[in-house]
Amino acid sequence: MLFVGISAGAAAAHPHVWVTARAQVVFNTQGQIEAIRNAWVFDEMYSAFATQGIGKDGQLLSKDELAPLAKTNVESLEEFDYFTYAKAASQKIEFGAPADYSLEQRQDKLVVLRFTLPLKTPTSATRAFSFQVYDPTYFVAFEMEKDNPVSLAGAPKGCSINVLGSNPLAASDTKKLSESFFSGLSPGTDFGVKLASRIIVACP
Amino acid sequence: MSVRPTIAGFALPLALLLSLVVLWPSQSLGQGVHHPFAVGANEGAVASAQGVMGWILAKESGFYRLLSGAIRTAKLNGGAPWGLIALSLGYGIFHAAGPGHGKAVIASYMLANERALRRGLVIAFGAALLQGFTAVAIVGISAIVFQAAAARMTAAANVVEIVSYAGITVLGAVLVTVKGAALLAARRVAPSAVDYAGAGVAGNFRADDCTEDHLHGPGCSHFHAPDPLTLGAGFSWKSAALTMLAAGARPCSGAILVLVFALAQGIFSAGIFAVLAMSLGTAITTAALASTAVFAKNTAVKYATPGSRRSLMAGRLFEFAAASAVLGLGITLLLAVLAGGTGAS
Ligand SMILES: [Zn+2]
Ligand SMILES: [Zn+2]
Repeated sequence: MLFVGISAGAAAAHPHVWVTARAQVVFNTQGQIEAIRNAWVFDEMYSAFATQGIGKDGQLLSKDELAPLAKTNVESLEEFDYFTYAKAASQKIEFGAPADYSLEQRQDKLVVLRFTLPLKTPTSATRAFSFQVYDPTYFVAFEMEKDNPVSLAGAPKGCSINVLGSNPLAASDTKKLSESFFSGLSPGTDFGVKLASRIIVACP
Repeated sequence: MSVRPTIAGFALPLALLLSLVVLWPSQSLGQGVHHPFAVGANEGAVASAQGVMGWILAKESGFYRLLSGAIRTAKLNGGAPWGLIALSLGYGIFHAAGPGHGKAVIASYMLANERALRRGLVIAFGAALLQGFTAVAIVGISAIVFQAAAARMTAAANVVEIVSYAGITVLGAVLVTVKGAALLAARRVAPSAVDYAGAGVAGNFRADDCTEDHLHGPGCSHFHAPDPLTLGAGFSWKSAALTMLAAGARPCSGAILVLVFALAQGIFSAGIFAVLAMSLGTAITTAALASTAVFAKNTAVKYATPGSRRSLMAGRLFEFAAASAVLGLGITLLLAVLAGGTGAS
């Protein structure tokens, strides 16, 4: 019984890293969704940590200086499905290896990670395409950018985006307190997904 | 006398429940070291998104998010960073209430071994302060002395983490051995219940000649609880020190981030103040938990049908189970961190 944890695998406690995310949905010439471009801005504490010891003091880091770190980050994201979870017609979407990734340090010293995540098979958006960006371990707390969190690139006419806000920890959660306090301490928390916005792309 | 069954009926489940609450979340593990944005050591275990845990997480996050601002303010204002210290204290209290932080180790150790509250508090505070010092040492040495990048710092923290988990495993093994021996001894030494029932001396066994507040002289042939000193192995500062070390060595991601950020702002000392305040907060929570563990155990042992062989066996079984939990925790964490280190799934 004590060892169930090993199989339970990755699942963490509480966020230490905050990310403000922006996404772009990229269409191909046939009007299908072919990739999702992520841009993640890290909070100032994590940004300071990530850039610690790289480059010269006081100067903003160049993309080249940050390239090795970008590579490591993106590579280790694979095991976590790039924190990007998509569905089309209630079918899980598989992603290929990310392309053109980079890290940059903005003027305000915040670090931004960008990468393009291609769909293994491009899919039509005429039937409910939706995705979420979150860390299931909840070590990283993702939040979609307030304005223009999602944009479309090369979308056919009439496509729309809908960002459904995060489900706040509602009163129902408190109600469940009694039964969940003990049973809820079991593995497989859904905290990350619970707080994640759901983005829906609809095309005519 | 009549209240005893009620209290026993309350206290024993309470103690069991407490150990369950403490141990259960720890069985599932923190993310592997391969987490793309790992900071220092791995974080503790799964938390429930609901109810009390959800609330604790929300509070903790709230405090933590304010910390970077408080560090900036401390930089601007100079002087003693009281705001930062207060925030860090609050963060520490809520942070430690969540999973991880060697809390499970300390509570299990208390349940297995410890009946003296004061020593429990010393252990809780020692572990929490050690945790703060480890974070300061790791960041101070790797960032300031070696100008190391984050990856190196994480690697250093990872080594400390492995050592800490190995320590928990060793502690568990020691406790299991001692408690296992005590359990076997109890089986051998304690007169069998059947003997007493048959002889009809159960009344004597309850020591009618003793009042409630009595001393246990050699003539008084009963006990309220297995005295640690009679358990084959009494309290040892060695195992207490090992507990502090095992529970407290692992540095906390939050502390590392605060320190590195403070360093980047050019006020490392404010970061140290913050981390020490965090440790104090962590210590308060852990101490509360340790006290509850000691209290629950003392109550359970004290009021479980005094003097019966069954209560002796129950007490020792309980301690043995708690000792096994420490061992299991150590092995689980160690395996997980080693598996994570190789990048295996
Ligand atoms: Zn933490
Ligand atoms: Zn921590």
